[in-house]
Amino acid sequence: MSSLDAIIRELRRAAARARGARYAVHGLVAAAGWVAVVLLIARLTPVEQRATVAAVGVPVALAIAAIAWLLRRPSAAILMRLADIRLGLKERLSTAWERRTESGALDDVQRRDALQHATRTRLAAAFPVRVNRGEASLVAVLAIFALALAVLPNPMDQVLAQQKADRTSQARAAKAVQDAQKKVAESAKPTPVDPQVQKILQDAQAKIRQADSPRKALESITPAEQQLQRLTDPGTPALSSSAQNLANALSGTAAGRSAAQAISTSPAKGAQSVRDLAAQLQNMSPKDRQDLAKALEKAAQQAQNSQMRDSLSKASSSLQNGDPNSAAQALNDVASQLDSLQQQQNTDQAVASAINGLEAARQELATQADRDAKGQGGQPNASASPGAGTSPGAGTGASPGASGSGNGSGNGTGTGNGNGSGTGTGTGTGTGSGSGNGGNGGTGSSGSGTGSGAGAKSTERVYVPGQPVPGQSQNDPTPLGPGQDVPLSPYSQVIQAYQQAALDATNQSLIPGSERDLVRQYFSQLGEQTGPGPK
Amino acid sequence: MIAEEPRVDATQVTELAQSLEAELARLIVGQKDLLRDTVIALIAGGHVLLEGVPGLGKTVLVRSLGQALTMSFSRIQFTPDLMPADIVGTNVIGDEAGRREFHYQAGPIFANLVLADEINRATPKTQSALLEAMQEHTVTVGTQTRPLPNPFFVLATQNPIELEGTYPLPEAQLDRFFFKVLVPFPSEKDLLEIARRTTGESTPQLKPVADANAVMAAQRVAREVPIAEHVLGYAARLISATHPDRTQLDSVRRYVRWGASPRGMQTLILAGKVRALLEGRYNVAFDDLNAVAGPALRHRIFLQFEAEADGIAADKIISDILEQTPKEPGRE
Repeated sequence: MSSLDAIIRELRRAAARARGARYAVHGLVAAAGWVAVVLLIARLTPVEQRATVAAVGVPVALAIAAIAWLLRRPSAAILMRLADIRLGLKERLSTAWERRTESGALDDVQRRDALQHATRTRLAAAFPVRVNRGEASLVAVLAIFALALAVLPNPMDQVLAQQKADRTSQARAAKAVQDAQKKVAESAKPTPVDPQVQKILQDAQAKIRQADSPRKALESITPAEQQLQRLTDPGTPALSSSAQNLANALSGTAAGRSAAQAISTSPAKGAQSVRDLAAQLQNMSPKDRQDLAKALEKAAQQAQNSQMRDSLSKASSSLQNGDPNSAAQALNDVASQLDSLQQQQNTDQAVASAINGLEAARQELATQADRDAKGQGGQPNASASPGAGTSPGAGTGASPGASGSGNGSGNGTGTGNGNGSGTGTGTGTGTGSGSGNGGNGGTGSSGSGTGSGAGAKSTERVYVPGQPVPGQSQNDPTPLGPGQDVPLSPYSQVIQAYQQAALDATNQSLIPGSERDLVRQYFSQLGEQTGPGPK
Repeated sequence: MIAEEPRVDATQVTELAQSLEAELARLIVGQKDLLRDTVIALIAGGHVLLEGVPGLGKTVLVRSLGQALTMSFSRIQFTPDLMPADIVGTNVIGDEAGRREFHYQAGPIFANLVLADEINRATPKTQSALLEAMQEHTVTVGTQTRPLPNPFFVLATQNPIELEGTYPLPEAQLDRFFFKVLVPFPSEKDLLEIARRTTGESTPQLKPVADANAVMAAQRVAREVPIAEHVLGYAARLISATHPDRTQLDSVRRYVRWGASPRGMQTLILAGKVRALLEGRYNVAFDDLNAVAGPALRHRIFLQFEAEADGIAADKIISDILEQTPKEPGRE
């Protein structure tokens, strides 16, 4: 019995070694195959961290092989049978092992016979450590293949770089929106619409982050801007202008000079000052009341806001009629409207700040989308960083408050030139002081893009298909007869129409600002190169 | 090395077989497989059907076996007019003390060794008289059943070419034979030796090497040889593989009409045990089963007409089965 056990132990050790070698090769085949397949797939479709994925498969394959080696250990009976066959023992060992507890007439002598033959045989030879040549060759081929795949340039690298740049760009754009959101939240002048602004920015930020590409992300900006625009009061410019006119008118009176200064400083202070003025009406001299009535009448005539105009007119007429109480009441109404103006200005400032953030995001995304379109999406995007300040947006603001004289404030959209690398477009809010100038233009984000193409040479006459005949539908061209060619018109006659059509098209909401600038730049370059007159 | 003697001395079986083979070889030139198969069947307690053309020494072999063993021997020449009573005996009227009575007169079947020469020349009725004797080792005449002597060993011969006026043995009769041994034509070298031995002044005279008790003891020992389960399973797979509806082998499915019976498997295992002993081993090996598969199964596999048309013999089918049947199904 003990000898049979010793035989089994020896066979188990030998079998474990042999199987270990075999399973190790199995594992290597699986590992090399895994690496080759991963690298091959990474050439057909972009796979991030392909090296990590491929590397992880190696220990996993070896671990599976080890587990299989452990789980698929042959039983003692199988070992004996294999040893019988491989060592030519004529089923002596397997019979002896199987009947080790039997006590038949010949069992004992059979066991001894088996042991005698086993001792004359090198049992380990039943399980030699051999490596299958086919498998070894397969490992070598797969390893070489995998190495070649790893070393040779992978066309998917560029795609991955572009995707990474896209994600980075979207993250920056989202960060710009987040900054704007933070700025609105930390504003010293909270407005009732702040929660709505926050919500819009929050949604836009989420959409930008979740978009598949910068171009898709761009699509979420314009709707957000439109939502923000709807939060503003369109009557604010008129009210603001009326307030400014009131300040100008009051500055010429002794009683209203301080109120004029206060209105110029801010509508809120102006409102307080106007209330003070209303309270002092009883104590004013008739002359001061007369001067004040004239100034109020002048302001009423210039007022673009109807309520302000009515209140000022009522105050003026009440003073002139010697009814200071009614005049005080009317001035208090004016003060209320100034308070309202202050509130609206605060709202506009918050909206403008939010739009600034969205525009910065738009600029970032548009730049990356341009790069993607040119196949340079994977290149570093250093020059297009939002808020880099390369283009401060020193453009002139088209502020409604720019007219008139005296102190003014207004919101404006400015266009500023970048630092030479492109043209930036910005939207911002500025507060101007001085006479007549509106607010400064918004802070423009850095521009990008370069013009391309060249104008026609001066010696060429360029013809393009002619414009449709007036009255004829563009979609219904006159059928050409046999031998007729498309009617041509000189370039100079159609370029203006083309330019207008192109600019109209760029006004579509989804066209990034940089793209619009590019179109404008293109046509302006055409104009410079060709000059007036047909070419 | 061996601490205690086995209850049965297996070496004596080996010695008996070796001495018997050696003694027979003095008269039978070559034909080692024939001698080995005959000895295996004798020790296993089975009967042998010898098939070969005339003059190959079939009858000489059986006669020599009778000489080498101290046992009763009788020879029955089968002819078309041979009657069952001529084999098993009959009741005859005798005059005993003035009274005439029937007395049973035993036939030639009552011997340890029976040579049924040219068995296929007797009618089926006469052939069937052997059925009970071969299977049950008893003979029934009238209403009385009488046991045959032990050991009882029938060696039948038949000629495969002279088929005119013969009655091929039915399947049931064939299945009673432990082995069907083909007697091959001797080689040229053996022919020369046969000429030298048999055409001289005297022919060798065999001396007895064993008696009935020794043979019976050997038969008991042979049944004690252990066989492992997986070897037993291999034997079962071999038998199953002879059946066209239980195998995937094309040759079997195409040519075999009916495969070997369970008696075929018993034969295979028992013959394997004896062969193991003759090889000096105390367990049955795959090789033992393979070695005895031919004589044990060739008369138990019944072929289609298509096999005959294509010249396919049962031995070819057996060879295919041995080649295709796995020894270790499901092993690693």
